Parts: sequence; C-alpha cells; structure tokens
Amino acid sequence: MNQAQLTQEQEYKSIYYPPGGILLWIIIFLELITFGLGLMALVYYGRLEPELFHQSRILLNPTFGTINTLFLLVSGFMMAKAVHSFREGERQISIAFIKWTLVGGVLFLGLKSYEYYDKVTSGIGLDENMFFTSYWLLTGFHFVHVLVGMVILLWIMIKMIPTDSDITQDDLASGAAFWHMCDLIWLLLFPALYLIF
Amino acid sequence: MKNRFNITLTVLVALTLTTSTVASLGSGIYNLIPLIIMLIALGKFLLVAFEFMELRKAHRFWKYLTLFAGLFITGILGIFSIAS
Repeated sequence: MNQAQLTQEQEYKSIYYPPGGILLWIIIFLELITFGLGLMALVYYGRLEPELFHQSRILLNPTFGTINTLFLLVSGFMMAKAVHSFREGERQISIAFIKWTLVGGVLFLGLKSYEYYDKVTSGIGLDENMFFTSYWLLTGFHFVHVLVGMVILLWIMIKMIPTDSDITQDDLASGAAFWHMCDLIWLLLFPALYLIF
Repeated sequence: MKNRFNITLTVLVALTLTTSTVASLGSGIYNLIPLIIMLIALGKFLLVAFEFMELRKAHRFWKYLTLFAGLFITGILGIFSIAS
C-alpha cells in the first residue's frame, strides 16, 4: 500500500469522510428510508390480502429477477475494480472497468424493459391491484435511479479519457457509491417483490 | 484487494443462487422461508456495503448505521411476511 492509499484509508476513518463522501451517504440513507417505507407498505398490504399478493407475485418471473440481480452484482464488482484501479494509478484499466459497469447497467435495464413490456401487453398496469401498484412504483423508481447512475458514470468516464483529466479519486468514489446504492436497493426489492409472497 | 473483490463476488453469486433454491422449497407448518430469504438478502446487502463500497474502512458510525438499516428493513420484511 502506497502513501496515497494510506492517506485515503486514514481519511475514511473520519466520520465526516466516509468512502464516496458524506453527501452521497446522506443521499444513500434517504433513499434506503424511502424504498424501505415503500417495501414496508408492500408487506403491510400483503398481510391484508395474502392470497391476492401470492397470485400476483407468481405472475412475476423470478428467473428474470435472479438474472437481473446477477447483472447488478457483477456490475458492482466492476465498479469496485474501477475505483481500485484508479487508486493504483491505472487510469486506462479503470476506464475499462467503468465500461463493463455500464454494460451491466444496460443489460439490467434491457431485461427490466422486457419485463415491463410483457406486463403492459398482458394488461397488468399500475392500477391492477395493490401488489402491482407497488411493483410498478418501486421498480420504476429504481429503474430511474439506475439510469441516472449510468449517466453519472458515463460522464465521469468521458472526463477521465484525456491524459490531463481533472477527475479525482473522490469524484470516482462518489459515482461508485451512487451506483452501489442502486445495487443495495435492488437487493431489497428483488426478494420482497419476486420471492416472499 | 483484488482477491477480496473476487471472493466477495463469488459469495454474492452463491447467495443469489441459494436464494432462488430456498424460494422454490415447499412450505411447512411454520413458513420461515420468507425470513430465510430476507436474511440471505441482508448478508448480500452487507457484503456489497462493506466490501464493494469499502465501508469496512469507514468510521464505525457509518458501519453501525448501515448494519442497523439493513437489519431493520430485512427484519421487518422477513418477520411480517411469515404466513400466520
């Protein structure tokens, strides 16, 4: 571990300087609270109408949900590798890992879009029942977050390409933290919507 | 560090496949499967937070806050999803 890495590690020990920055972590916890409340509402209504929620849940495809989980996990792995490579001074390798992160995001959004298309053509909309209202709202907002995350990472990657780039480790770490937040939220959404009812 | 990420991903993939397997099991008298599924989700949540997001290097405040948030959400979902 070099001096820069040691300094970084010491800074992360400060309560005001978590990995990715304190602002991002405030955002992350606000998002976790928001999605958490949505999921708790899902479970509440699920207890009121267990049979309806069960019959609705089996209309979802857990295989697609599992594949999407794997897409995001591998994408998160690529993102972590990108941050590590940047810290090691391997800018080009870091850019390559960001590209693979974006590929994971594209695959996730592609499969999710297919699921949405399938539901829409089957006539299962926002007002089908409480389960599908929750499904559309929770996964829809998550979809938007993934899209925003991809825009952020694409912007960072483009700014990293020039040799005199002014993108810092903190910039990349913040973008990575937002991306991992999308992963964290999906890790809660997937079992709650696709498996437990 | 590289091996750490590789190991973390391997465990995450294994837990994801385990979740799918557990979800396909039949229910018994006491249907604890939703709770088991959410516990596995908690494990994955913490692995991503502590390894990929490097929270293990952070101040304990952020570690405990993340642990509490994950435990609270998955606990509520798991416990209240158990069939009565």
